[in-house]
Amino acid sequence: MIGLISYALGVAVAAPRTGGLVSAGLLLVLSLAGAVGMILLLPGGRDTPLRKIGGAVLLALLLVLAALLGKTAAGVGFYFWIFSAIALVGAVRVITHTKPVYSALYFVLTVMASAGLFVLMWAEFMAAALVLIYAGAILVTYVFVIMLASEAHEGGAGGTGAETDLDHDAVSREPILASAAGFALLGVLLFVIFDKPSFSRAADSMSARSASAKVAPDISPANQPVMQGGTQQLGAYLFDHQVINLELAGLILTIAMVGAIVIARRGVWRSGEALREMGETLVAPATPIDDNPHSIPVVGTDNPRQKAYPET
Amino acid sequence: MPRKSMSELALQHYLAVGAIMFVIGLIGFMTRRNLIIIFLCTELMFQGVAINLIAFGRYWGNLHGQAFVIFVLVIAAAEASLALGLVVLLFRQKSTLDANVWRELRG
Amino acid sequence: MHDLFAVKYSWLIPLLPLIGAAISGLLGAKWLKQKSHWPIWLGVGASAVMSLILLFGMLHIWSDPRLNAGQNELATNVHWFNWINVGSFSSEAGAWIDPLTAVMLCVVTVIGFFITVFSAGYMRGEAGYFRFFAYLGLFIFMMTCLVMGNNLLMLYLGWEGVGLSSYLLIGYYYERPSAREAAKKAFLVNRIGDFGFGLGIMACYYAFGTITYFSGTSAHNGLLELATANNLAAYQETARQWIPFLLMIGAFGKSAQFPLYVWLPDAMEGPTPVSALIHAATMVTAGIYMIVRCGTLFVGNAAAMWTIAAIGAFTALFAATIALRQFDLKKVFAYSTISQLGFMFVGVGCLAPVAGVFHLITHAFFKALLFLSSGVVMHAMAGELDFRKFSGLKRVLPKTRKLMLTGCLALAGFPFLSGFFSKDEIIAAAWERNRFLGVVMLFTAFLTAYYTFRLYFRTFEGPEVIPPPPPPGAPTVDAGQTHHAGAHDDAHAHDHGHGEGHHHNHEPRIMIIPLVVLAIGALLAGYINWPEKMAEHGLADFLGYSPSVAQTYHLAVNRGHEHVDPMAFGQTGIAEAMDHLDPSRHESTGRMHFYLMLASGLIAFTGIYLAYLMHLKYRDEADKLAARHPLVIRVLEHKYWVDEIYQAAIVEPLRAIGRMCVAIDTYVIDGIIWIISFVPQAGGFALKLSTQRGYLQGYAVTMVMGVVIILLFVFL
Repeated sequence: MIGLISYALGVAVAAPRTGGLVSAGLLLVLSLAGAVGMILLLPGGRDTPLRKIGGAVLLALLLVLAALLGKTAAGVGFYFWIFSAIALVGAVRVITHTKPVYSALYFVLTVMASAGLFVLMWAEFMAAALVLIYAGAILVTYVFVIMLASEAHEGGAGGTGAETDLDHDAVSREPILASAAGFALLGVLLFVIFDKPSFSRAADSMSARSASAKVAPDISPANQPVMQGGTQQLGAYLFDHQVINLELAGLILTIAMVGAIVIARRGVWRSGEALREMGETLVAPATPIDDNPHSIPVVGTDNPRQKAYPET
Repeated sequence: MPRKSMSELALQHYLAVGAIMFVIGLIGFMTRRNLIIIFLCTELMFQGVAINLIAFGRYWGNLHGQAFVIFVLVIAAAEASLALGLVVLLFRQKSTLDANVWRELRG
Repeated sequence: MHDLFAVKYSWLIPLLPLIGAAISGLLGAKWLKQKSHWPIWLGVGASAVMSLILLFGMLHIWSDPRLNAGQNELATNVHWFNWINVGSFSSEAGAWIDPLTAVMLCVVTVIGFFITVFSAGYMRGEAGYFRFFAYLGLFIFMMTCLVMGNNLLMLYLGWEGVGLSSYLLIGYYYERPSAREAAKKAFLVNRIGDFGFGLGIMACYYAFGTITYFSGTSAHNGLLELATANNLAAYQETARQWIPFLLMIGAFGKSAQFPLYVWLPDAMEGPTPVSALIHAATMVTAGIYMIVRCGTLFVGNAAAMWTIAAIGAFTALFAATIALRQFDLKKVFAYSTISQLGFMFVGVGCLAPVAGVFHLITHAFFKALLFLSSGVVMHAMAGELDFRKFSGLKRVLPKTRKLMLTGCLALAGFPFLSGFFSKDEIIAAAWERNRFLGVVMLFTAFLTAYYTFRLYFRTFEGPEVIPPPPPPGAPTVDAGQTHHAGAHDDAHAHDHGHGEGHHHNHEPRIMIIPLVVLAIGALLAGYINWPEKMAEHGLADFLGYSPSVAQTYHLAVNRGHEHVDPMAFGQTGIAEAMDHLDPSRHESTGRMHFYLMLASGLIAFTGIYLAYLMHLKYRDEADKLAARHPLVIRVLEHKYWVDEIYQAAIVEPLRAIGRMCVAIDTYVIDGIIWIISFVPQAGGFALKLSTQRGYLQGYAVTMVMGVVIILLFVFL
């Protein structure tokens, strides 16, 4: 990691690039600070003041970045800043909150804010779909599973289980390494995004490629027709050009549904000891529940390979 | 209502937001120990990517980005349903959601 | 000749036994079981009938008085299919059919057929019944390919194929270590010979550019025709000096001549019908066939001919002396076979190929008879073959006694039986070439008569002694386990033990009938080339129409060999012409033949009488006499320690080299490889402990770091 950082530092110093929105050196500093803030903020069983300092650092860094960007007076409106701020703060809370349910709820917040960003980008249908699918369907499932798990926990394993549950939600693993790696990636990504020369290069090569191919029409933004009626056009586009993909998507969803049902109904092997510990509360059904004999749980043997129908 | 295509600068703003969200999700994926939250973090990463895709679609003035996001959503939904089923199975087996309990890949 | 039925369909002769072998080999284990002999009977039988039709068709043409000796009217090239085309080399699969082929074919298939009939009785109840018959069919296929093929590659195919069949059949009782060892020994010793043979074939192709015997056309550009040319290039002359010696090595290996004879006595580990068919009657005579067939390649080199005659004579004497002091029926006959093969080599080496082939035919009959008879004895004696353990079996095995007596008389050269005539011709040829050679051959004939009747008197005459049957409950199928090594340290060929259950019928009809047929052959086969008047219209004349024999004669005359007897090459026309020119020549050779015949007859009588005295009348005194000469007895019983010498001089050094190679491989090469493999292994182990800890998210961190590094490299 140290080598990586020094490499990035060396490259950033050695390559005086101009024209970028944010200079590489500044990005490096921001990333480093962000990593420190994230390390402080991540739950590690530490004192709350430290975490608060971390949160403040991250918030400040977001503001700095916003200020750096806002300085350029791009065509982004006021709502962009609002929605992005909500989305990012929500995202940070998702990964730092010690209670899973709260994390899920913060995720809902993030999804809502992202939907707002989608609307800003004239993708109303996608925004609606996002809210419906993510906030409506997926998140409900998550919350449901979280509740199911914690309930089974409290009912089944008594006091110790709750403590471990708190433990593994309250203490993050390898926060330093993970933050370092993550912010290194972020630094590189932001550098790539704000590095004007490389960005223009990409666009040039793209139009050059399309020009040389002479098959696809010129897709540079200036030549694009003005979009009208986004949802309608999207539907037309999907069913004109992506029919097979759409069908495949439906197929994938069906398969996933079938798979989810199979997985959920599958019995779980438990050692005899675990069964005895559990006493009456047998989670898996005792009767064979699917047709594959290799997946059928065995009662009364410690050997998971010894598959057979249970004795009674 | 006529819709203008996005400027390059605005695109960079959106891309930055997407990238930050992606990395936050990534860090969460690497640090959280609750299996459910780990999967939630993958959804966060999907979000970041979706923002990028839509921004690019807007920038180029076509619908490819949005179509792509639809498929991303499909995969996300499928993945969520299967992953949660698996999480439930894993939870039933060891009565804990701690990802560190599962170390069968240890060399 | 071309329109003979058997020539047109000559491909059926090898093919039918092969089909039979395939059927019983593939279907035998599951379905045919104890009926597995039927496909082989039918295949070999049909093949024998075809061969006889071919022979009689050719005899018919031959009997036509208008036949012209110079026109090759009794020889034809039959094209079957194109076999190999590689670059400039091409070889067809086809048959060269001439009198020599026809005679050999009849010997192989007819005797082969009777032996398969015998085997059905002999092998009954064996677990590997189908396997045995499949191997037999394969052998007949290969042997017919060997004698029919029209080029050296076909000969080589058959040569290796019969070697393979021999290996498989010697190792038929593969549960028995001695059988496995014997099979390996036969295979490896033959490898030495076949290596020389292969080199010889390559040398032929190199020197003459073809391996087809005869073109069959007026172009006369076959290998054996080219070899007779006088205006050869220098390298061809050199090659012609070497080719006979290379081919000779192959012949010595296959036909068990000194020093490559050691495999044949051990090959008696195979079932007795195999010993009769392969190791007495047919396969071992392949060397003689090859030398007669390729006579023009040999006769140009006088040294090669002398070598063949000398090795043959030495082997004949050497093996005959060993046979004097063997006690195992099959061992005696094995050494006798080696000795008789030596006779045949003397015949072809002394420029009398007809005599060699004649002896080959008679020997095939009486030796097959003798082996099969000893098989009957073995059957009756519950796998016992040591005639010190039994005696006076004439009451128990009356029919076998008569049959064995016939065979023994024929082998001993008793006057007016087949062996007498053929052996006499060889002795005459040897006598004409060199007096010393003739004396050696006469002495060997005496030894032959003696050891043959020693065996006979010991086995069938004298007081009746029958070995006690093995205790009940002893395994019956594999007698090798019940057999207890007696005073002999030899591995006996006790392949048969299931006789003890039915002592009442030792001579089942299925085993006796083939013996009777062979006995008739042993009695009468001599008359196909005797007496003199008969010979002029008999085998000799018939064989003389084979281009191989005829051209060998002409080449021998051209090359200035002395005492080239046209009769010995079946050139009756030339012989008559020469007699006409010089009547005294006919008279003198006739007189010499008469005296030699008288001498060999007397010698046979003497040998038989000596055996009668020593082994029947004064048996005990003879045993005492033997006990007084322990040195001679030991030398003979240990077979001159040849096996031990080979073991010490060849096998052990090779084994030492092998052990050294193993040691180098184990310690040096493997050590280096171990060191090379240790470094990455240790590194991998360290990496495993430090990085592969099983945390899923840890892997994710590593992956992200990798992505960062890649992005840095791509974009910076």
